[in-house]
Amino acid sequence: MPTVSVKWQKEVFPAVEIDTSQPPLVFKCQLYDLTGVPPERQKIMVKGGLLKDDADWSTVGVKEGQKLMMMGTADEIVKAPEKGPVFMEDLPEEEQVVAVGHTAGLFNLGNTCYMNSTLQCLHSVPELKSALLKYPHSGRSNELDQSSHLLTMATRDLFTDLDRNFKPVTPMHFLTVLRKKYPQFGQLHNGVYMQQDAEECWTQLLYTLSQSLKSPDSRENQETVKALFGIDLVSRVHCAESGEESSESESVYSLKCHISHEVNHLHEGLKHGLKSELEKVSPSLGRSAIYLKESRISDLPRYLTVQFVRFFWKRESNQKAKILRKVDYPLELDVYDLCSEELRKNLEGPRKILRDEESKKFGLKTSEKNTDSKENDVKMLDIEGSSNGGEPSTATNQEGVPSDKQAQFTGIYDLIAVLTHKGRSADSGHYVAWVKQDNGKWILYDDDNPTPQREEDITKLSGGGDWHMAYICMYKARVVSDMSSSSSTVGKSVDLSEAS
Amino acid sequence: MTTDPNPKNDGNREEASLKVPSKDPKKKKDEKKEEDLSDEDLALKQQLELYVERVQDPDPGLQKVALESMRQEIRTSTSSMTSVPKPLKFLRPHYGTLKAYYETMNDSPEKKFLADILSVLALTMSAEGERESLKYRLSGSVGDIGSWGHEYVRNLAGEIAQEFAKRQMEEALVDDLMELVTQIVVFHLKHNAEPEAVDLLMEVEDLDTLVEHVDATNYKRTCLYLTSSASYLPGPDDMLVLDIAYMIYFKFEEYPSALRIALYLDNMQYVKQVFTSCDDPLHRKQFCYIIARHGVTFEIDEEITADEDEREVLQEIIYNTKLTEGYLTLARDIEVMEPKSPEDIYKVHLIDGRASAGASVDSARQNLAATFVNAFVNAGFGQDKLMTVPSEASSGGSTGSWLFKNKEHGKASAAASLGMILLWDVDSGLAQIDKYFHSNDNHVIAGALLGVGIVNCGIKNDCDPALALLGDYIDKEDSTVRIGAIMGLGLAYAGAQNEQIRKKLSPILGDAKAPLDVIAFTAISLGLIYVGSCNEEVAQAIIFALMDRSDSELGEPLTRLLPLGLGLLYLGKQESVEATSEVSKTFNEKIRKYCDMTLLSCAYAGTGNVLKVQQLLGQCAQHLEKGEIHQGPAVLGIAMVAMAEELGLEMAIRSLEHLLQYGEQNIRRAVPLALGLLCISNPKVNVMDTLSRLSHDTDSEVAMAAIISLGLIGAGTNNARIAGMLRNLSSYYYKEASLLFCVRIAQGLVHLGKGLLTLAPYHSDRFLLSPAALAGLVTFLHACLDMKSIILGKYHYVLYFLVLAMQPRMLMTVDENLKALSVPVRVGQAVDVVGQAGRPKTITGFQTHSTPVLLAAGDRAELATEKYIPLSPILEGFVILRENPEYREDR
Repeated sequence: MPTVSVKWQKEVFPAVEIDTSQPPLVFKCQLYDLTGVPPERQKIMVKGGLLKDDADWSTVGVKEGQKLMMMGTADEIVKAPEKGPVFMEDLPEEEQVVAVGHTAGLFNLGNTCYMNSTLQCLHSVPELKSALLKYPHSGRSNELDQSSHLLTMATRDLFTDLDRNFKPVTPMHFLTVLRKKYPQFGQLHNGVYMQQDAEECWTQLLYTLSQSLKSPDSRENQETVKALFGIDLVSRVHCAESGEESSESESVYSLKCHISHEVNHLHEGLKHGLKSELEKVSPSLGRSAIYLKESRISDLPRYLTVQFVRFFWKRESNQKAKILRKVDYPLELDVYDLCSEELRKNLEGPRKILRDEESKKFGLKTSEKNTDSKENDVKMLDIEGSSNGGEPSTATNQEGVPSDKQAQFTGIYDLIAVLTHKGRSADSGHYVAWVKQDNGKWILYDDDNPTPQREEDITKLSGGGDWHMAYICMYKARVVSDMSSSSSTVGKSVDLSEAS
Repeated sequence: MTTDPNPKNDGNREEASLKVPSKDPKKKKDEKKEEDLSDEDLALKQQLELYVERVQDPDPGLQKVALESMRQEIRTSTSSMTSVPKPLKFLRPHYGTLKAYYETMNDSPEKKFLADILSVLALTMSAEGERESLKYRLSGSVGDIGSWGHEYVRNLAGEIAQEFAKRQMEEALVDDLMELVTQIVVFHLKHNAEPEAVDLLMEVEDLDTLVEHVDATNYKRTCLYLTSSASYLPGPDDMLVLDIAYMIYFKFEEYPSALRIALYLDNMQYVKQVFTSCDDPLHRKQFCYIIARHGVTFEIDEEITADEDEREVLQEIIYNTKLTEGYLTLARDIEVMEPKSPEDIYKVHLIDGRASAGASVDSARQNLAATFVNAFVNAGFGQDKLMTVPSEASSGGSTGSWLFKNKEHGKASAAASLGMILLWDVDSGLAQIDKYFHSNDNHVIAGALLGVGIVNCGIKNDCDPALALLGDYIDKEDSTVRIGAIMGLGLAYAGAQNEQIRKKLSPILGDAKAPLDVIAFTAISLGLIYVGSCNEEVAQAIIFALMDRSDSELGEPLTRLLPLGLGLLYLGKQESVEATSEVSKTFNEKIRKYCDMTLLSCAYAGTGNVLKVQQLLGQCAQHLEKGEIHQGPAVLGIAMVAMAEELGLEMAIRSLEHLLQYGEQNIRRAVPLALGLLCISNPKVNVMDTLSRLSHDTDSEVAMAAIISLGLIGAGTNNARIAGMLRNLSSYYYKEASLLFCVRIAQGLVHLGKGLLTLAPYHSDRFLLSPAALAGLVTFLHACLDMKSIILGKYHYVLYFLVLAMQPRMLMTVDENLKALSVPVRVGQAVDVVGQAGRPKTITGFQTHSTPVLLAAGDRAELATEKYIPLSPILEGFVILRENPEYREDR
């Protein structure tokens, strides 16, 4: 009976006797006693081979004092989890979008960056998307012309495409329809389509949508686009010479930020933009006189569009020249002092709620440190409650056009999209869109290539150099819900839910 | 250059100035400037003219005196090579006269005397190619050659070389020359001019005699010159030179150095001779460490030592069983035992802005990348944060949970990564991998098999656990399992030339039913196991397998592994490949050229053969029709051949830059990989910049190759600059899954073994090339030539071929009982001291550390204490220290 030494992991069992008359299984049982590894899990290596349970010892040829090596553990056998993980690569394309964290880009079809950037900015307005979805597939209303109908359809389809894909989308159909509706976008120069002014595209597109997206049951306040973007202005027209004074009201889709030498900040530019001089025939003087027109906002939109008037027609060079002046704009815009007296009164209440809420949040944070853990828990619940309360409100916001009764404006706006231009004239250079996503991250849509950006960099697009500079800014209203006092603002609800 | 002793000159001037006043006392010193010549010179000139006249005097007595004085003048004035000595200058006009007179003279001692003088005069006078100096030397009196000065000897040596070449052409006798050669060699060796002596002997093809002439004082320098000149010599000369060096080392009992040369020559006879001639048991252990690092199989048999215990100890060292212990000691000393997670490597927080948005869903590809990064970073440490988390915490196998975060074939790589983490630690490695053997998932089993191979890579054991465990699986049904087992065997037995495995694997190559991927991996594994063996049978098997492939199979990306398997058999074996490359000419044209290039590049890998580099460059210069892929291996071949020595390497880098500019796309894709091989684990700044530029290339495959190569050149260095580049790339390519995968792999490579490992196949002062390591690298690079279908496809486990090249870049000193011993060492940049006079410093800019210590590429270490004597001349890897008996503690 030869004795061998068996090595198992780091241990060595010297002098294990082998009964060569018994099959190796017996030897394995011996080792089971020593190591606790069940025989079926044992692998015994003898000079480049495994010891089989039914092998004949004489053929194995074990020598006295030989070293054997045993492998095997009593460890649990690895089992696959019942539910395997889901991999991004396996997901259908729509769901991959979520994983990427932003929607698709748009291919440039030859100087169409003005259109791409406009579309990306407008695409970030969920209410517009939902309104478009409600747009009937066929059967246009009678007052709408065919091309407007087609353009609306194309916009709807393109927006759905953008949401569904995460690879860049080709907006060919939309472009064709757009050019059909507005032939100026099909202008050729040397056989190539010309670069166009993004602002023009923006305005025209919104105009078409405002026409088409009127609800068939013509109840009041159903003009979706107007409800979303329309800014009501009341103006006081005053003639210094005659002392005449009249007032008029109008509705616009964007505020203009005029850029002059004094303007360094968006706010100043807006104030400038609301004041204008015009020359008209004064009935009392019987000749034309200079009238001063001062406008005030009488009704706020859900989305405030601000256009920087950077381009002007330069007669001598016969082209649109660009003002490169640096005009800062804030991430949070307060238009309170641009509002009319009545509106200000209406805003007071909501603004107070908002302030309270903010100070409460601040106060909560400071008190947290002082209170004991039990109280803390209660407060934590509060936060959760408030954030939960916040979410449905956003949900309703997205579902359709919320009426002003649910949420009240505060006059405070958060920046959600910037359309920038890089280059020296409106018809050349490059347009891109910088859009804030639902998760609070900024994405730069440079045609087909979306890239994440830092928020700090967004405010650096204020001009004053050859870098991208803001041309159109879109702000979203921060609202307080009327229904519950603990409700949070739309803008903040996302942040809160992320925090909790 | 010149070693001419200056004092001679000074003495001469003194003598002259002493003489002159006595001869011409009238002349004033003020008048000197009126003429071109000074007083002394003028006097000397007149003197010499007088001698010339006297020489032609019929009176032999007078003749003799004149010759004697002339010789006196010349001898005392031999000077540096920058100016012609005065006497020679003044004798120049008379050279013709003397020559003419010489012809008229009868044979007499005086004639010989004159011949001597003419021989010296010819040094400056003789027309190019006339070799008059030699001519008169041969007809002159055979005197001490050194008495005419060093410059004369050098000139003579040059003329001998020319004369020798001429006589060889004419098949004339060279005996008289050889006599002279012997004189010169002795002179040179005596005067610290070993390189000249060696050069002369090489010219006259009589290097063998060198062994007789060297002595204990100059053999080291001679051998150093011999070994370093070997890489610049053509054809058989290089081997001859090394052979001589071996003999010299052997003669002077410098056994470790002799062993290095024996290993370089891959001459196992010599290795054995070293063992049998050296009786010192400690030295023998050191030899074993050197052999183990080189990674060749060597059996210690009874002839070497009759003592069974010693045999076991020696064999154990060669089997590398203690490698893991040494490595972990190093890790503990440097305090890097703490496992690192892939996130620690990615360092996302350092990337501004572009942090990947919302990774709520696991990406299989990113998880796979994390698996590899985790494996590379924690290689050999035995613990990590994904695969070996303690089972208590998991309650139900959290090890399994990471495993199953990988998809399908990803699970194979994940299971195999456990092998990498437990690299070299066979005992615990096998125990931990065991549980995967019982899985019901074929991918997991395949991974476990591969893992066993990885754990055993470079480690041998008498029980052959890898063969025992994997042997049964190579004929299983599932091809993933088969590949796992086959590749595992290849990794575990690389270079082992194991007959048993060959018998198991060869039939697969001939199996008509075996899928192509199984055949490809079999070919590679056989190539690895028989690397550089020129084994006929394996070659035949692979050749038949190649011939049996159908047309469509030859177009498959994996088919490229078959010619490579064949090439590996001839790795570095130069001419031995010729028969096989003849056969390859009969292959299907789809693979013929690819095979040609692969064989050529493998056969001359690590030789630095300039002609072969040119041949390969020539292949790359052609612009081809679409679809031919053989230029890829040609580009890699340039790197493989040129990586042998530093100069050729630099030239290859420049040539590759040209290829990048003018080459076709398939060449451009291979260039980054070639650069990666040239500078592996040696991040040269210029190469780093080139690769960084290419990593943004518009061709995504060029970019991928460049990114992987950034990882290769930085492999195991923790190089901050490359790490930064890769971080930026990770945010640049955050959307492109394939490129991001490559970036992750590269990041893992840069932090290979947390910076303790190297992938460089060269070791022992960049002299020895480990064949298995190079084979592993080359296999990986060939797989990278078609990144998309191999590494980014389902064969990503080819990344594990790199394990063959992984070695700790350490210096570990051990005492006589092989226990770690900490001593102070100086580590600094190595300096090339070949052919330098005196005893120059071998390192520069050094710092003193205590062992174990890390060595970077190009670093050299020397002991900073006299207390011990290292048993290996090269302080790398494991070095045994013996106490210096003459050491006295300083008080």
